[in-house]
Amino acid sequence: MSQWVIKGLASGIKSSRYPDVMEAAPGTAPGLPYATRMASHLAEALTARCPTAALEQAAGGVDVNLRRCIHCFRCVRGTDAPISWDAGYETAASAESNDPSRRFGASFSSSAHILVVDAGDCGACLSEVRQLNNPYYNMHRFGFFFTPTPRHADLLLVVGTLTEHMRVPLRKAYEAMPTPKRVVAVGSCALSGGVFGRNFMCAGGIAEFLPVDVEVPGNPPPPLAILHGLLVAVGRKSSVSLQRRVEPVAMRRE
Amino acid sequence: MEPLLLVILGLCAIGMVLPFVFQEHRARLIVGWLGAGAALALLCFSGACLFGGSRFEVGLWTIPPFGELRLSADKLSALFLFVSGIVLLPSSVFASGTLADYLGRYSIRVFSAWYFGLFATLVLIPLSGDGLSFLMLWELMSILVYLLVSYEHEVAEYVRSAYLMLALGEAGTLFIALAFIILAGRGALDFGAIRASSAGLSVNLRWVVFLLALLGFGVKAGLVPVNVWLPQAYTSAPLPFVPVLAGATLNLGLYGIVRVDADLLAPVMAGPGLVAIVLGSVTALLGILYATTQSDLKTLLAHSSIENAGIITAVLGAAFVFVALGHPAVAAIAFAAAFYHLVNHSVYKTLLFFAVGAVDSRVGTRNIDRLGGVIKVMPLTAAFFLVGALSISALPPFNGFVSEWLALQTMLQSAILTTTGIRITFAICGAILALTAALAVTCFVKAFAMSFLGMPRSDRAAGGRRASRSATLPMAFLAALCLLLGVMPTYVIPVLDGAIEPLTHGAQAAQALVPPFFENSPAHHELPAAFVADFHTLGAQVGQSFLPGRGLVVMHRGGESNPVVFAMSTSYLAVTLGVMLLAAYAIFRLTIARRRAVARRQVWDGGIRRLLPEMTYTGTGFSNPVRVVFEAVFRPTMVEDTRETVGKHFRAAIRRTRGENHVLDRLVLEPIGDAAISIANAFARMHHGFLNAYVFYGLGALILGLLIARFS
Amino acid sequence: MSAELERLAEYAKARWASRVRSSLGEGEEQLCRLDCDASELRAVCDWLFSERHYSFGGLVAEQRPSWKLQYLFYGAAGEGWVYVVSEPTAEQMPSISPMVHAADWHEREVEDLFGLSFEGHPRLGDFVLHNDVWGEGLAPMRKDFEGVSRDEGLQPDPNWKPRRIVEEEGAFAMPVGPIFSSATAPVHFQLETVGEDVIRALPRLFYTYRGLEKMAEGRRAEDVVLLAERISGTSAFAHSLGFCQAVERVCGVMIPERASALRVFLAELERLRHHAAAIHGICESTGLAVAAAQAAILEEDLLRTSGSLTGHRYLFGMNTVGGLAIDLGESECRRAATEAARVAAGLAGLQSMLSVSSSFLDRLEDVGGVSTNDARDFGLVGPIARASGLSRDLRVAQPYCDYDRVRFRIPEESEGDGYARLRILFREAEQSAGIISAVAERIPEGRFRVPEVALRAGAALGWVEAPGGAALHWVRLGSGGVVERYRIVTPSFANWHGFRLAAENFAFQDFPIILATFALSVHENDR
Repeated sequence: MSQWVIKGLASGIKSSRYPDVMEAAPGTAPGLPYATRMASHLAEALTARCPTAALEQAAGGVDVNLRRCIHCFRCVRGTDAPISWDAGYETAASAESNDPSRRFGASFSSSAHILVVDAGDCGACLSEVRQLNNPYYNMHRFGFFFTPTPRHADLLLVVGTLTEHMRVPLRKAYEAMPTPKRVVAVGSCALSGGVFGRNFMCAGGIAEFLPVDVEVPGNPPPPLAILHGLLVAVGRKSSVSLQRRVEPVAMRRE
Repeated sequence: MEPLLLVILGLCAIGMVLPFVFQEHRARLIVGWLGAGAALALLCFSGACLFGGSRFEVGLWTIPPFGELRLSADKLSALFLFVSGIVLLPSSVFASGTLADYLGRYSIRVFSAWYFGLFATLVLIPLSGDGLSFLMLWELMSILVYLLVSYEHEVAEYVRSAYLMLALGEAGTLFIALAFIILAGRGALDFGAIRASSAGLSVNLRWVVFLLALLGFGVKAGLVPVNVWLPQAYTSAPLPFVPVLAGATLNLGLYGIVRVDADLLAPVMAGPGLVAIVLGSVTALLGILYATTQSDLKTLLAHSSIENAGIITAVLGAAFVFVALGHPAVAAIAFAAAFYHLVNHSVYKTLLFFAVGAVDSRVGTRNIDRLGGVIKVMPLTAAFFLVGALSISALPPFNGFVSEWLALQTMLQSAILTTTGIRITFAICGAILALTAALAVTCFVKAFAMSFLGMPRSDRAAGGRRASRSATLPMAFLAALCLLLGVMPTYVIPVLDGAIEPLTHGAQAAQALVPPFFENSPAHHELPAAFVADFHTLGAQVGQSFLPGRGLVVMHRGGESNPVVFAMSTSYLAVTLGVMLLAAYAIFRLTIARRRAVARRQVWDGGIRRLLPEMTYTGTGFSNPVRVVFEAVFRPTMVEDTRETVGKHFRAAIRRTRGENHVLDRLVLEPIGDAAISIANAFARMHHGFLNAYVFYGLGALILGLLIARFS
Repeated sequence: MSAELERLAEYAKARWASRVRSSLGEGEEQLCRLDCDASELRAVCDWLFSERHYSFGGLVAEQRPSWKLQYLFYGAAGEGWVYVVSEPTAEQMPSISPMVHAADWHEREVEDLFGLSFEGHPRLGDFVLHNDVWGEGLAPMRKDFEGVSRDEGLQPDPNWKPRRIVEEEGAFAMPVGPIFSSATAPVHFQLETVGEDVIRALPRLFYTYRGLEKMAEGRRAEDVVLLAERISGTSAFAHSLGFCQAVERVCGVMIPERASALRVFLAELERLRHHAAAIHGICESTGLAVAAAQAAILEEDLLRTSGSLTGHRYLFGMNTVGGLAIDLGESECRRAATEAARVAAGLAGLQSMLSVSSSFLDRLEDVGGVSTNDARDFGLVGPIARASGLSRDLRVAQPYCDYDRVRFRIPEESEGDGYARLRILFREAEQSAGIISAVAERIPEGRFRVPEVALRAGAALGWVEAPGGAALHWVRLGSGGVVERYRIVTPSFANWHGFRLAAENFAFQDFPIILATFALSVHENDR
């Protein structure tokens, strides 16, 4: 058995130093589109390329609704006027509420138990959530733990567009959690239904079903983005906007 | 003294006859009132002898060849009579209530007749003072118990179980009779004469008498290997009678063992005692193993009775060894443990049978796998069953803890013995007793939790009604006794002393176990002052101002190097426990419960739509690990049958039937039965039908008889 | 056209005369089509499955508007495809499940989603659409289904309870899930037991059923590629490859050699990462924390390699009809290949350490075994089938892309227990790394995609050996390149069917480990 101890020690420390140091290793995040200034005829063609209507034409360019982006890269590849792309991963947005059962005190900032419920995912978001436990991201260093039972959970992390079959289990899991509790919706499917949209099985996101506190966009969001979302949920990081707007041009003084 | 006895017997006689004058449904009231009255009189009678010290001695008729039939009550008899009284008082009330279920099906008057007949024999057997009356009363008791167990005579299986009990009982009576005959030798049969003549018996005859008495009385006491009748008989016995069967008649077997093997035949060799220890331990282990895997609550309690009888016998065996090897003080501790356990067992086993009877009567089923959630429909019964279960699992502050603790401490006292073989036997059997204690907890967690908690597994369990007062009042009485006996051990032990002293040639259990820490106790000066001062700092004198007696600490003192061998005080423990629980509750209510309301939500079931009772653990599932670990004992057989609907891989049903053959049936009953049948078959060959040969047999027997008469 | 298929057609004609009409595929296509009457369906399928030992691939139901059912069979040794086509009478078909048990779940799904009845099947109803949510009678895959309003359409059965099979004194059915562990996909198990051993394990799936096949109808082919990627995000490249190949076959498109080679490269990269994740799952289930961490490091390394090579960690957005969406440079591919080789070496080291950890092996050896016959009867595919002695691999039996030019071995084990499945995962990972290196050495020059693909109407099958096993994508395109019918048969669908063979008659403690050794994807099954 000692071989395992030696092997473990010899592997060294692989944990990312995020959030103290921004993680820059290649391949850690696909990034997300950024609002882009461009001529209106180009903007029209570009917004038509998006299969989930994540791009909106705005005055002077293209606005981006990050909730809907599914990483199909059609706005970047195969077009003469690609959209700007942001390589970052700090993209989670939180909605503050006055409900005391949805506010965390300071004691949660270094300890939170998370119940993960897959409400109709494709598997990629769930896989990224599971990567949070690997030595590179090691969410235990923040005091975050996965728990299999809602009775011990503070955070409900939901992935997937809500399917009919998962309504009752998700509702029961939410009701079984003691207060205070917050809901983190991860992935474009949970935020807006993603490429699936609404049909007889899919509800197009969980926003109408549960009160969502933190939204993490992406398809799937990389583990660092989910980690940012969790840190936002416990109040250690500030939230970001999911609607990226084109900056107005400063008026030139004659 | 005599008048009280006449009152008891008179009430019994009235109880046997009076019901025939009245109608059926009044008969059960007679059972209740007369039975309770007779039991109260019995308590007074035996109490006077046990606490007060009055003696009772009367000679009845004289039968010329055998001697005088005597009735005498010494403190040992008084103790057993008192225990019988404690059991019979609530049992009569309980019986009158549950007899209502038998209205119209069986004759309650007949039940009453047998019941009071048995009552009388239960009173007279401990009182009998000579061998002949003892045997006659024993036989009468066996027959009456048979009649009561087969009360529901329309069910063939019940009658068969009663018959097995009777057959084994007869074999037991035969052994007892032989034992008395050998003990008496050529002298008279009364106990005084036997005590005198038994001192001169040879070693071999002592062994023979001991084993005959152990096995003979062991039939009624429930010892391996002669207890094969017990589980079936307890299951077959009618509800009103089972508590008496378990609480009173089992004790008679133990009374017989103590009377013959400790009193009439004072132990001088360690060997017989060791046999008793080993037999008791094996009995206890087998009893609790089978109890843990039972689904029928009554059968579970029957096997548990076997376990407790085994524990008592094992500790009695230890007492015999200590007496034989000349350690009277430790022998007194052992006897105290055995008698205490006997008293406790009668109390909590009867309580448990009351609870099971109430459940059976109101809900309609005793099968653990069909019960569940009964606490919601029968909360009082559940609470009392819980008290009984906690007591039998030996948890403080209830009575089972004291006697189980004393029993295990007794086994540890083998340290003072010198022979290695004896010490190893004590060690192994002590370990077995500890194992049975642990298994008992498992068994009763299963019995309580699976029957009373959780979701109801059948419609019957969901629809039960609350128990009637004729069931709850007796249960309350016995539950209170459980608590009292557990919290006040230092008052019980001196009472047991009366029975212990004659057996240990004067050593007193109170002397050995209850140091007089209270300053106003007469024996206070016996303790060295420094010792007392040490314990006063620990609080051993708390309560001396308003409580009588020697103290509240049960302690065995040793020599210089080991001043305290073992000590405990359930009295102080109970008080401390109570205070702590109250304090915790108060703190909770004042701090946490004030700030937030308690929300009640559904149990978390993984998110499925409905949690059904069939998705919850059954008793069989809970006890399955025990069945698997002890597979060598159980040797279950499994018949599996998979029905397919269509094709090879669609399964319609998987039917599995688990068959179990009791280890004693396998090892004892069946070989004996097979041997008897083969011998009979061998002799059957003599019945060939030729008349000439039969005449020849007669001639041969005549010649043989003449030869024997010639040469003896 | 293989001689075997011609013999097959001859035999069918001889035996069933006019009731079975055979036709062979054109040109390079290895295909034999048997149109048979419903009355002979059972005999034909039984003959193909039991006597000729063809594997059952899947069942495609189409409403055009008349019903047509196609039973897809293929030869494991490269014989080719056999489609048995039949039409139901009055929406009823004879069930072939009693003889070809691999068709069990396919028939149940068609009954549940289309409303066709299979006579002789004893277990219809409550499969994909849960009866406690929907009730019976809903057939959403029919063309006339318009969606259902939440207020009036749902008629759930309030008294629905799962079927019990075990009859024993004291047996109970322990429910596990759908939410049951830290971060797992939802699946409900009903474990019937008497306390120690699981006597019967029944998984209830389709909690994440999203209705992808229905969603695809009416969408353009290039949009359905997005859906195909998201059947199972961890096998995204494989499934999008299957769909693209089906469309390319319909339109008669030959993709350039460079695209072929790069497709092989990326498919094997995905397979390597999928197997690393499966090994991580097995080590985690047995509680061997250091081994699980080592495997997790390797998995993350591969995810980052995929991310830096293609821009997406799960290779989303790489496949398109006609080739790849972007080109990959040779040096980048070689860097990725070096990284893959390093990971493979790490996995080999991990395997050598695990093979001497007796406490780990105790949990896997002789636990959760599936016999070869059962595996064949249930139609298991992929690494699980290979561990039970069925070495079937579509890369060898029906080579696609560049696989006929790549040298690799298909590992096979015969014990069928958990340890055999683990060994197969390691060896397949090693083979994948070898393929990646070999392909990276010589990527052909040329275009990485066909610039303009003219979509035309037609139907074809696209197949691919996904990391979990054989995946079949049947696509019918209408005019304008719109998908009319998209049938997805995933390897997890076949393997979940056979999961109970391994889980039954073992103790509760072994259950999570057996589940981990199967490495099944719930999302891939549910679609």
